[in-house]
Amino acid sequence: MRKYLWLLMAWTLTSCWKYTNNNTGDPAYTSQKVWGYKPVYATESAAKKISYLASSQIAVSYGNIYAFRNYIFQIDPGFGIHVIDNSTPSLAHKIGFITVRGCSQISIKNDKLYTNSYDDLVVLDFSDLQNVHEYSRLNGVFTEYKFGSPISTPPGRGYYECPSYDRLVTGWVMDSVYTSCYQ
Amino acid sequence: MKKASFFLLAAVLVIVACEKNDTNANSSSTSTGKGGSLARFTIIGNYLYAVSSHYLYTVDVSNPSNPVKSGQSALNFDMETIYSYKNRLFIGSRTGLYIYSIDTPSEPRLIGEAKHGRSCDPVVANDSVSYSTLKGNTYCGPATSGLYVYDVKNLSQPVLKKTITMNDPLGLGIADSALYVCYTEGLKVYSIKNAYDPVEMKTIPGTDFADVIPYDNILICWTNGGISLYDITDRLNPAFIKKITD
Repeated sequence: MRKYLWLLMAWTLTSCWKYTNNNTGDPAYTSQKVWGYKPVYATESAAKKISYLASSQIAVSYGNIYAFRNYIFQIDPGFGIHVIDNSTPSLAHKIGFITVRGCSQISIKNDKLYTNSYDDLVVLDFSDLQNVHEYSRLNGVFTEYKFGSPISTPPGRGYYECPSYDRLVTGWVMDSVYTSCYQ
Repeated sequence: MKKASFFLLAAVLVIVACEKNDTNANSSSTSTGKGGSLARFTIIGNYLYAVSSHYLYTVDVSNPSNPVKSGQSALNFDMETIYSYKNRLFIGSRTGLYIYSIDTPSEPRLIGEAKHGRSCDPVVANDSVSYSTLKGNTYCGPATSGLYVYDVKNLSQPVLKKTITMNDPLGLGIADSALYVCYTEGLKVYSIKNAYDPVEMKTIPGTDFADVIPYDNILICWTNGGISLYDITDRLNPAFIKKITD
């Protein structure tokens, strides 16, 4: 009889092991892996670096729009800003893409474009549309956007690996992931 | 003689009121650009105002080479959108419309609010009227979806004047006496000659219009497939020009 009691205790203890190794502490799904989104991380300085390509880029998704004189700007949430030449509306077309990871919003005053890269306010000079570049930056303004910018969640629905809160996400790839987060 | 003075005064008031209805139609002469009603950034004067879900941020951008943060207020509103008009900020949140004075630009001050049931709500406004769309759904909240018209002449007490129910409306924009409202099945065009009583004139079918920016004689539309452009020389009759896709 005692033998069976020990066996019962041992079995109960080993079943507890399933509840420990998932960082979200979600017991039911730890051992499940599915095809989903996995975050790609970079250092803060790499994530916040601005670059520009003077040619049309395919949009990942479509976000807020902004009009200024002969141009229209469209946020590609979390990835950057598309620049559209609207001097002749019937021929309107994309002419460039500004990489601003973690971006969500835009405003313009006096030939300076104001946007956010995660929690930083970034001011861009677009007076030369062959060479849009960073003009100035104020770090850490938008505290809630640091880990809450559109790039913190993947571009599609489904399961994804929850991003950690100590690194900045710069993109997502499809991979085999634990079913820890879902949207 | 007294009667003549009275009519003269009334005429002046009407003219002034009508002029003030002319909102944001002409933009090419200004130094700032124009965002849509779903924007969370706005620049007015020397300040950038931004909202995230729980904070209103104020940044002095009078010197673009050296922006300076002047404030961050915590607000329990679940904020969605911000719209500026003269010395006022209209903030749309999931629980209501909040109106701030920026008479002291570095310190926005709450002066009025109009609460509503939980929903998402962008807003556009001028001196006397504000238009919000409320989208009630599982994400935004259970309020009745529709277009809500407020008298905001007394900003501390917005008065609901009219509600027009519609399915899942989203962004909206004003050009003179025309109001454009996006919803999941297309775009509705209203005459707002009587500001508190929008009259539906036309529906442009199509999927998922999210937001619009009336800019001079062009209506710039954020849709689910890219940006669509319409000619609004005739304000109440948008004419399709082009869809900008990849």
